[in-house]
Amino acid sequence: MQYVLNGLPMGAIYALVALGYSLIYAAAGVLNWAQGDMVMLGAYLGFTLYQVVRVNFPVAMLLAMGGIALVGVLIERGVLRPLRRRNSPPINVVIATLGVAIICRNAALAIWGPDAQPFPPPLGSRTVEVGGLRLVPQDMLIVALGVLIMLMLQYFLRYTREGKALRAVAQDRMAASLMGVHAERSDAVAFAASAALGAAAGALVAPLFFVTFSMGAAIGLKGFVAAVVGGLGNIPGAIAGGFALGVIEAAASGLISSGYRDAIAFAVLILILWLKPSGLLSREARQKV
Amino acid sequence: MKRAWLLRLAIAVFLAAVPWLVTSPYHMHIINLVGLYTLITLGLNILSGYTGQVSMGQAGFMAVGAYTCALLMLRLNMPFWPSVLAGVLLAVVCGLAFGIPAMKLRGPYLVMATVGFGEIVRLVLVNWVPVTRGAAGLTGIPVPAFVGLRVSDERRFFYLVVALVAVGVAAALRLSASKIGRALVAIREDDVAAEAMGVPVNVYKVAAFAISAAYAGLAGAMYGPFTSVASPDSFTFDDSVGYLCMSVVGGNRGVWGALVGAFALTVLSELLRPFQSYRLIIYGLILICTVVFLPQGVTGLVMGLIRRWRRGSRGVRGERE
Repeated sequence: MQYVLNGLPMGAIYALVALGYSLIYAAAGVLNWAQGDMVMLGAYLGFTLYQVVRVNFPVAMLLAMGGIALVGVLIERGVLRPLRRRNSPPINVVIATLGVAIICRNAALAIWGPDAQPFPPPLGSRTVEVGGLRLVPQDMLIVALGVLIMLMLQYFLRYTREGKALRAVAQDRMAASLMGVHAERSDAVAFAASAALGAAAGALVAPLFFVTFSMGAAIGLKGFVAAVVGGLGNIPGAIAGGFALGVIEAAASGLISSGYRDAIAFAVLILILWLKPSGLLSREARQKV
Repeated sequence: MKRAWLLRLAIAVFLAAVPWLVTSPYHMHIINLVGLYTLITLGLNILSGYTGQVSMGQAGFMAVGAYTCALLMLRLNMPFWPSVLAGVLLAVVCGLAFGIPAMKLRGPYLVMATVGFGEIVRLVLVNWVPVTRGAAGLTGIPVPAFVGLRVSDERRFFYLVVALVAVGVAAALRLSASKIGRALVAIREDDVAAEAMGVPVNVYKVAAFAISAAYAGLAGAMYGPFTSVASPDSFTFDDSVGYLCMSVVGGNRGVWGALVGAFALTVLSELLRPFQSYRLIIYGLILICTVVFLPQGVTGLVMGLIRRWRRGSRGVRGERE
């Protein structure tokens, strides 16, 4: 039980990042390898607003999400759109987003310097004990806000005009275009939303670790694992995959060894891919996005 | 035919002269690195250029080759070449073991599985301390020796690397011209159609993985003696990504793209050194511009220019006549 509880906060973080991958994959059909760096940039922007500008945490987080959403739009406009218009092979899109990741990482290094920045948890760090289980305030905050953001995303996708357009494009790009949906606009929306999700994950996870320019790589990779486990492009799958990965990791580091924790996460991934080559929740649920 | 041999002779003479033209050992080191990277990229080109499979875990195969070779030499005092051979073989075994379950995977799922493979190898190297000495890595890997002649400096190492790259290029050219090569191209273009035409798609897909693993394993086995160290830091996800970039930037559809890509990106990252902290930002921008504007890589551009030039010169001659 404690392992499940320990796994939930990181699970929520992975789920947010995985949602970012899935949104872009569903709408634009590409993988954004710079997703982890959206997390890192979100953490830095949140840190700067909270610690240097000294606004309160929710405001800092929202502003960070908005700011990084702009970065997402910039990536779509500056990199993805030219590639799509030239009909580039998928591998070129992969390399281009890897290029974006390199730029983000080194821009952060140039702006904030190489030192890791401590980010004090907004709710303090005293643990609360409830029924024999240890609860950390920051963990609870991550899970609560994480779930809230996921619900907001669901609302956005189901009930807003832009969200419905995005779902239409995800289901059938050509048909949606013929029906008058601006597919490129939806790509931009998907990039903005997934960057904002990444930034939220960054601002939430920052108090657990230090903020560093290289933090995005590991979180980005794990989020990708979660997205693939749940079936890429599948929204409920991304959430389930994220939480599952978080719990598996917590259990693996508690029961086996923390050194092999990451290796176990990847071994689970390869095993799942082997048994079900397109993710656990694929095909049937995929159309729902 | 005669001209082709003359060209080959000229290249051989030029390569033989390189270590005497390049005076700085540091530059020589970079050139040797380009050679090792070319080997890895050659394997990647066979994998992605011919069968359309993408690997972001090539550093994992390289690590298998490097550690196997280094451990055999250090712990069992095995001579150089048998150790290299063992490293390559074990990398091939890993390639087969990975390629067989992976043959069902496509697109991003396959990429993710290769990332997972590379990371698992690296994490095992970090954590299996009694054998691999963990993050510290293996040090003091002996330099190779031939009948008393030790490959003890960059200049001598250059000849070794050039010989291996030449063998690697020749093997890749042979492969691409063979029946197998044509079958691999058929798989890249449309694997369902290839299967229908009687090409055993899965066998070739796995074989391509094994071949790319052999190239990476060989480069890894050389990397240890070359730097005298084998540590997990040399075989990370970022390294795998770098090799993939070389393959795509050079152009992954042919053998020469591997050479061009390895050379272009290694030299580029050295040329950008004066820009210090902006170096990798510029590098990333150039990477993006290359894949946006040169969908077939640098060799694609050059081939296109050559074709245009030939057509143009023929046209001019036509007018004269």
